[in-house]
Amino acid sequence: MRQLINNDWLTIMFRFALGGVFIYASIYKIADPSSFALSIWYYHMAPGNVINLMALILPWMELLCGLALIAGIWYRGAIFWVTIMLVIFIAALTSAVSRGLSIDCGCFKQGGAGTTAAWRSLLLDIGLFVAAMQLWLSRSTRWMLSQN
Amino acid sequence: MGKQLFYILFLSIILSLGVNQFHPNAIPVVGEWRDLQTGEGPIIPPSAQEGDPRFVSVDEAVAEFGRGKAHFIDARPPEEFECGTIPHSVNVPFDNLPESGVDKYIDSSLGNMEKTALIVVFCSGEECDLSLHLARNMQQYGYTNLLIFFGGAREWEKFEMPMERRRECAN
Repeated sequence: MRQLINNDWLTIMFRFALGGVFIYASIYKIADPSSFALSIWYYHMAPGNVINLMALILPWMELLCGLALIAGIWYRGAIFWVTIMLVIFIAALTSAVSRGLSIDCGCFKQGGAGTTAAWRSLLLDIGLFVAAMQLWLSRSTRWMLSQN
Repeated sequence: MGKQLFYILFLSIILSLGVNQFHPNAIPVVGEWRDLQTGEGPIIPPSAQEGDPRFVSVDEAVAEFGRGKAHFIDARPPEEFECGTIPHSVNVPFDNLPESGVDKYIDSSLGNMEKTALIVVFCSGEECDLSLHLARNMQQYGYTNLLIFFGGAREWEKFEMPMERRRECAN
């Protein structure tokens, strides 16, 4: 098991997968912060006066963490922040799904995300969380620009 | 690792606030978002625009329901409508609006009712904007007496008003 976790190829694959998803997810949010703020508002979880601040800072955290994971710079810090963000996303999605918020009404993006899409996002986040755990436990430092 | 956590957070804050200064879609750092938990007054979504039909609170929706003059229109897909809706409401799923002939579709869905009839449009709740989109379409096609109950079926149920259920659903 330990050998599998420390596998260089598995680690680099998860670094690119996790980093890639975070970079990809950050782009539209950085380009259109007001839509992302609206998405946060729809979850009814964050106080009104911090929604914009979250909508501004979170996407940059995602982008920097994604880049850091792929490049292997500030690596442990990036995994930590990614894990924290994933826990927040999983909690928010679980809460939305369990409260029966029907996110299938064109609320999040044109065309609608769909309740099934909320489930899919939840499953994706859980998968990413598992990948983050592997990176956290792995001792592989191969193909990293910085060795700490 | 502590330093790395700080660097990432610090850089994110600096970059986000800095870029926002020059961003074509910049937003204020502290926005004015309505908290959704109070249930007081009408819920007005951030996407509301000037010229939209008036938004009404659950109290006003209940009053109109009690008066019996208003027609209630549920804009959700049929499967959600069937799970529970305001009694006697008509289902006009916004997602089913055709590419062309929207006016005829709406007119026939509503049984060609008078364009001046009082109509309350709603969907599931605050996270759903189908009611707003449908009401805008109806407004465009000549309906003049529209209200939007943005609290929708969820707020209606929360205030213990009767629900009409056509089938049992998980939620």
